[in-house]
Amino acid sequence: MEGKRVKAALSPETYLPTAILLFLVVLPHLMPNPFYVHILVMMAIFVVLGQAWNIIGGYGGQLSLGHAAFFGTGAYVSTLLVNAYGISPWFTLWLGGLSALVLSLPIGIICFRLQGPYFTIATIGLAEALRLLVLHFREITNGAQGLTVPFKGNAPWLLQFDSKFPYYYIALVMAVVTVLITRRMERSRLGHYLVAIGQNQDAAEALGIDSARAKMQALALSAFVTGVAGVFYAQYTYVIHPDSAFGLGLSIQIALVAIVGGVGTILGPALGAVIMECFIQSTQIIFAGQYPGLELMVYGALLVAVILWRPRGVFPWFARLYGRVVARLPAVGAAQA
Amino acid sequence: MTDEMLLEVRDLAKRFGGVQAVVGLSFHVSRGEILGVIGPNGSGKTTTFNLITGFYRPDQGRVRFAGQDITGLRPYEVCARGICRTFQVAKPFRELTVFRNVLMGTLLRHPNPAAASARAEEVLRMVGLEGRAHTEAGSLTTIDQRRLEVARALGTEPRLLLLDETMAGLTHTEVGEAIRLIAGLRHRGLTVVVVEHVMRAVMSLSDRIVVLDQGTKIAEGNPKDISSSPRVIQAYLGAEYRHA
Amino acid sequence: MDATTILQGLLTGLLMAGIYALVAIGLTLIFGVVRIVNFAQGEFVMLGMYSTYWLWKLWGIDPYLSLLITMPLLFCFGVLVQRFLFRPILHAPDMAQIFMTVGISVILMNAALFFFTADFRTVKTAYSEWTLRLAGVALPVPRLFAFLGALVLAGLLTLFLSKTDLGKALRAVAQDREVSMLLGINPDRMYLLAVGLGAALSGAAGGLIVPFFYVFPTVGVIFVLIAFVVVILGTLGSIEGALLASLIVGVAESLGILFAGADLGLVVVFAILVATLVFKPSGLRGQA
Repeated sequence: MEGKRVKAALSPETYLPTAILLFLVVLPHLMPNPFYVHILVMMAIFVVLGQAWNIIGGYGGQLSLGHAAFFGTGAYVSTLLVNAYGISPWFTLWLGGLSALVLSLPIGIICFRLQGPYFTIATIGLAEALRLLVLHFREITNGAQGLTVPFKGNAPWLLQFDSKFPYYYIALVMAVVTVLITRRMERSRLGHYLVAIGQNQDAAEALGIDSARAKMQALALSAFVTGVAGVFYAQYTYVIHPDSAFGLGLSIQIALVAIVGGVGTILGPALGAVIMECFIQSTQIIFAGQYPGLELMVYGALLVAVILWRPRGVFPWFARLYGRVVARLPAVGAAQA
Repeated sequence: MTDEMLLEVRDLAKRFGGVQAVVGLSFHVSRGEILGVIGPNGSGKTTTFNLITGFYRPDQGRVRFAGQDITGLRPYEVCARGICRTFQVAKPFRELTVFRNVLMGTLLRHPNPAAASARAEEVLRMVGLEGRAHTEAGSLTTIDQRRLEVARALGTEPRLLLLDETMAGLTHTEVGEAIRLIAGLRHRGLTVVVVEHVMRAVMSLSDRIVVLDQGTKIAEGNPKDISSSPRVIQAYLGAEYRHA
Repeated sequence: MDATTILQGLLTGLLMAGIYALVAIGLTLIFGVVRIVNFAQGEFVMLGMYSTYWLWKLWGIDPYLSLLITMPLLFCFGVLVQRFLFRPILHAPDMAQIFMTVGISVILMNAALFFFTADFRTVKTAYSEWTLRLAGVALPVPRLFAFLGALVLAGLLTLFLSKTDLGKALRAVAQDREVSMLLGINPDRMYLLAVGLGAALSGAAGGLIVPFFYVFPTVGVIFVLIAFVVVILGTLGSIEGALLASLIVGVAESLGILFAGADLGLVVVFAILVATLVFKPSGLRGQA
C-alpha cells in the first residue's frame, strides 16, 4: 500500500534516446564550421557502413574484408547512370543498392555452403578484381582518374546542395534507419537464426534452419545498404576513384568500425564509427599529414589491441555506462500514491 | 512400403575411407511406435541417424518418409519434412538461454517470433524445464541438457523423433524420469526411434527393437525375444560367450 | 599471337610459380600446424624484400647471398609473432584470429611506409640484365635464379619434414595435436617452429625476387592474395598441393596477362579462386 508509484509516463529508457536524437539534429547548428559538419557527415556514413557490415559480419559471423566491393559498385553504378542518362540520384540510390545486392548473391551462393575462411578470402578477391576491372575499362569508367558528378550548384532533386547541412541530415536519417533495420532484423526470425548458426551450425540445421539461406539474406541486406551508402558518398564528394572506392583499406576500415564498437550488437558499430572518426581526425591534426603511414600504423595497433584485450569491442563497457546513467536519471511525469 | 510405415530405410550403405560404417541396412518404423535401436559400439547407430537426417549422404540405399523419398536431402529439409533428431554429444546453443534455445526450434513452424515464443513456453512445460527458462544453456546439469535437446526437437513439431543416447550418463532416478518423458511423447502422436545402451530404458520403452552389428541389422523383434536371442548376445559379448 | 609468345608466357608463369609456391607453402604450413589463417603472410615477403634491399644498399651484399641473413632474421621475426601475437589467440574465435593477422598486416605495411617511404626501390646487380635464350624464348637470369632458389628451398623443406625428427614432429602436430602431445612433442615449440619457417620461406621468396621486382610497402598484398588462391586450390595445409597449385596459378596468371592485359592478371587468379570454390572447394588434395 505504501510507496506505490504510478507507472512513469516517460522513463529514461524512452526519452534518453529521443533526447540524443534531438541533440544530433541540432548539433550542426552548434558548430556550423563546414569542416566540423563534414566530420559529422563522415561519421554518419561510417555508422551506416559499420552497421551494414555488422549484419553479415557480426550477426552472420561471416567476416567480409571486401565490403568496399559493394560500396564501390553502388558509387560507380549510380554515377555512371547519373552522368549518362541524367537520372536523379534519389532514384539511383536504390539502383546502386540493388546492384550491390545482386553482386553479393554469387559470392554468398558459392561460399556459404562451405565452412572455413573462404568467404573472407573471396571478398578480398572480389573487391580487388572489381578495382582492377574498373581501372582496366577506362573508356567507361575513366580509369584511375575517377568519375566525377557534374556540379550543378544547389539542385536538391539531383541530390546536390550548396551547404553541408542537408547532406548531414540525409546521412543522419540513413544512419538512424540503418540502426532501426538492425534492431528489426535482430528481433526477427532471421536474427534469431543467425545467432543459432553462430552458436552451433549443425544443431541449427537439425532444427530446420537453412544456414546458407540465412547467411545469404544477411549478406544481401548488408550489401544493399552498403551500396546505398556508396551512392550517397559519390554524391557528397562529387568524385570517386577505383583505389578509394574499392580499396582494401576501406574494407578494413569498415570492418574495424564494427569490431572496435562491438560486433553483433545494435549500436556497437555506431559507437565504433564515432570513435574511429574522432581518432582519424585527431591523428590527422596531430601529425598534419607529415608522417605517411604513422596514422595507419596506430590504427593497426588499435586493432591488435582490441583483439587482445577487448575482443567484444567497446560496446559492453559503453552499455554498462549507459545503464548507470539511465538508472540515475529521473522518470518524467511519475506520480506517487 | 505400407501405409503404416512412417519411415523406411532400404539397403543403406556408407563408407568412410577404409571403414564400412553401414552396409545393406534395412528397417522400418511404424506410425506411432517406439522403436529401439541397439548394438555394440561402432555398429553404425549414429551413422544411421546421420544418414537418415541428411548429415551424411548414403553411398547406396534409400530413405523413405511418409511415402516420400528423402534420401540425400539436407538436414534442414529433413527437419522441415517432420523428422527431428537429437545429438549423442549434446549441442546446445551454449550462450543462449534455455528459452531461446527452444525458440530456435519453434520458429520453424511459427515464423512470427511472438507466436514462436508462446509455443516455446508450452514445450518447456512439456519437458519440465519452465523453471530454467532463463538459465544459460551451457550451465545446465546433464539431465537438463538432455531435456533441452528433446525440447528443442519437440519445438519443430516433428512426426518422427530420433533420440540418440539420451540416457547416457544419467543416474538411475534420472533414467526413470527420461523413460516417463519419452513414453509420454507417444501419447502426443509422435513416433520415436531411440538409440540406447541403457538396456532398462530400451526394454521398457520399445514396442520393437532393431539390433545392429557392424553396420547391418542382425535381429529384429519385440524386447523379450531380443533379450534372449543368442545372436544378439554374441554380438555384444563376442563369440567366446556364445555358450555361456 | 604466335607459338613463341605463348611459350614465353608459359615459361614466365612457370618461373614465377616457384615464388608463389614459397609464399603459399609458408601460408599453408602455418595454417596446417597452428591453424591460423595468416593474412599478414604477404608482409613477410615484403620484409624479406626490404631486408634484401637494405643489405645490398648499405653494405653491397649480393641479394642471393643476403638470404643467409634475411632468412634467419625473418625466422626470428616469425617466432616473435607467434609467441606474442598468435599465442594469445590460438583458441579465440576465427574472427579474432583473422583480425589479429589483418592488424599485424596493417601495422607492418604502414611501418614500412613510415620508415622507408612509398618510393619504389630496386636492386641492380651484374646479372640483372642477363638473359638466357632458348628456342627463341628469353629467360631472364634473375627470374631463373629465383625459380631455382625456390625449388631448392621447397626441396629442403620437404626433406626436413620427411626425414628429420623435428620435421616429423611438426607434421605430427599438424595432423593431431593431442596425440602428438601424448608422444611427448611440445606443441608450443612446434608452433614457434612453424611460424618461424613460414616467415623465413616467404621472406626468402621476397629476397629472391628483388633483382627483378620493385620493392614498395604494399607489395605484400599482391602476394598474399595469390598465395591464398594457391593454398585453397592446393588444399589448406597441404604442401604438395601448394606446389602443384602454384604451377597452375602461375601459368594461368601469365597467360591471362598475355591474353587479357597486363593489369588483369589478378582477375584471372580470382577467377581460379571462384572456379575452385565452385567445383572443388576442398582443393586438389582434398576429399570431395
